Amino acid sequence: MISQPGEKPSTQKRYELISRVLRNNIHSGRLPEGFVLLEGPIAELMQSSRAPVQMALKMLEEEKLIQRFDGRGFMVGQGTALTSPRRLDIRSLDLHVPDEIDEALQSRSMWEQVYDQVEQAVASSLIFGEFRIIETELSAHLGVSRTVVRDVLSRLNERGLIRKNQSSHWIAGPLTAQSVRERFAIRSILEPAALKLAAPAIDYAAVERLSRLASEGTSEFSETEDFEQALMDTCIAKVPNAEMIAVIRNIQLPLLAANRALTKLGLPRDRFAADEYRSLFRLIERRLIDPAADYLENHLKVMAQKSLARLKIVAVISESRLTVPYLTKIK
Amino acid sequence: MSPKNITPDLASPAIKGRRKLRVLGTAITLLDQVKKKAEADLGFDLEFEVLDFLTCQGKAALSPQTYDVYDQCFHNLDIVWFWGSLQPIDTQRITLWDKVSDLTKRGGISRYAWRGHGDAPVKKLYVQPGDSLGSEPQRHISMLPTVYNLDSFGYDARVFGYSQRQSESWAWLFDERAKGRIALVDEPAIGLFDAALAAEAAGALSFADVGNMTVAEIDALMALLEDKRQKGYFHTMWKSAADAGQLVRDHRIDVQSMWSPAYGDLGGETPHFIEAVPMEGYRAWHGGMSLRHGLSGDTLDMAYEYMNWWLTGWSGAVMARQGYYMSVIDPVHAHLNDDEWAYWYNGEEAQSDLLGPAGQTVVKLGARRSGGAYLERTNRIAVWNTVMDEHNYAARAWGRFVERVRGVAP
Repeated sequence: MISQPGEKPSTQKRYELISRVLRNNIHSGRLPEGFVLLEGPIAELMQSSRAPVQMALKMLEEEKLIQRFDGRGFMVGQGTALTSPRRLDIRSLDLHVPDEIDEALQSRSMWEQVYDQVEQAVASSLIFGEFRIIETELSAHLGVSRTVVRDVLSRLNERGLIRKNQSSHWIAGPLTAQSVRERFAIRSILEPAALKLAAPAIDYAAVERLSRLASEGTSEFSETEDFEQALMDTCIAKVPNAEMIAVIRNIQLPLLAANRALTKLGLPRDRFAADEYRSLFRLIERRLIDPAADYLENHLKVMAQKSLARLKIVAVISESRLTVPYLTKIK
Repeated sequence: MSPKNITPDLASPAIKGRRKLRVLGTAITLLDQVKKKAEADLGFDLEFEVLDFLTCQGKAALSPQTYDVYDQCFHNLDIVWFWGSLQPIDTQRITLWDKVSDLTKRGGISRYAWRGHGDAPVKKLYVQPGDSLGSEPQRHISMLPTVYNLDSFGYDARVFGYSQRQSESWAWLFDERAKGRIALVDEPAIGLFDAALAAEAAGALSFADVGNMTVAEIDALMALLEDKRQKGYFHTMWKSAADAGQLVRDHRIDVQSMWSPAYGDLGGETPHFIEAVPMEGYRAWHGGMSLRHGLSGDTLDMAYEYMNWWLTGWSGAVMARQGYYMSVIDPVHAHLNDDEWAYWYNGEEAQSDLLGPAGQTVVKLGARRSGGAYLERTNRIAVWNTVMDEHNYAARAWGRFVERVRGVAP
């Protein structure tokens, strides 16, 4: 299965690619009977993390192409107790990896490697207006193929950060007051609800730790974004609803990025917001989830007003502060 | 006295120079005459840094260490206050706080006066719990209200006619008769509203709330402006009242945004150039002074002395001579002669030639101020200079428009 341009490369599909490569090489005899397959070296060879390799090996085991044995890893074939395990470096076997699969596997790991930096750059540019992303520039800037760039762009599109215009160019931004207002309106509905639903699954030990750190005002927790992120990770994102978490994260994304960008530009810290997060953590710590949800709703309304105020002041910052070469300002 | 106290402090200079207060602001208030008189009255030096609106606002927000007092307009508090560059002013240290007009303290000169669209100063005046700004009265304020005015546009009556006083309309800023000879002010929180009032008056657009436009409304306004630009309507964009006056003197424009001192600068020598009283109402603005964040001790005391001095009438009289009103009126009255008071504040015919701040004639005998008495004018506010919610979006779009106009203008 090969990724089409623009198709979403997903972790779920990677194990299929890996299992396919291994299966073909077992059938062709390049992976000989008794050969010991180990997760680590396969992951390295396929430029993948271990999880998809585990899944692929499990599939092949179910297909009875490999089996567990009295040792680490899996042994190729359905050998008897007499078959002796052959421990060799998998790279010495000259496995056949079809080009398109190689590229697909590579791009899958590659896009993930570069994605975060691009997401950060694009998300923090939104406050400066509307930009076009030039694919060739992005590929040159990152030193990766167009295939990788397309995967990155389709992920950005999925997260709602970029869109295609009528001439099929990728466009980012602008982050308008209207969008800020709408995003906060959604957040103040979803996040308190998610918090309530998440109550049984909240990592209370982590919240206690956070609450302590937050009260001490350690450097780890100085910016509003840190508090916001921590609240999301330890509480709200524990809601047993993956779709809801994805929606909340996508809604938050440009807001968080804008805040980070503003902090970097030297905007003063919001000490009132920090106090509000401390109160919120204390409520959650004491299992007072309904009051915490009400508090969160109100807090988000206040943050919406502050974010609108913060967005206005960006007007004095020239967009020439943006130095990412692949973002071109639309005039 | 212990020996420790006799030993001079090595960190401070051996001979103390005169104390100095640094004021950052615009040409509206930072006049030479004001500086000299204030220095004489207060006994300390003043350093005035005079910049255009946008540069001034950017510096105030991003470099608060470069000034002590910030003398600007209420509408840009939305930028400078939220950069955390200012500190609250304690009204208990403002001697004449009780006399400051209800226009700023309550939002209108009377309970029944129409407040105008956009950000009336009262909406940004009081420092609320949580450091935001709002109209709920509090002991601390963000900016001490000082000068204000009601702006409109100026036009050449030889083009628009002398007998059109009843039909003066912002629509004239887009009028075909003046095509190629139109100028606007380049500041987005000001010029954009002149353009918006013009677009609405001309029937080209309508805004649900002209003081807080949506993205779609801003896009429509900018598209209209771009269309007019391509058709060659705009001659240039100006930055200061002096620039605007020069455009009239050079016969380069027929109609433009125009501020009061520019008419005075023309010295009554261009009777064909008329200050309009737009039937849609004025675009209002209010100036004031703020304290830099972190200002303390002796310099903070000087800043309060300076602000209090501003309300005592002398500088208010200077402001009146360039057409600006003050937040505290009675002391100004005491510092103007009867002819001046009658003309500038009461809208009556000038009984003599009137002099401006620099001593030149700014009003000829027999002239009458456009729009009449100050209560009459202040009652006709259409919109305030405003930093809208979508200001960041609008200011960038406006900035691109300004560049394009300047690119084609000589």
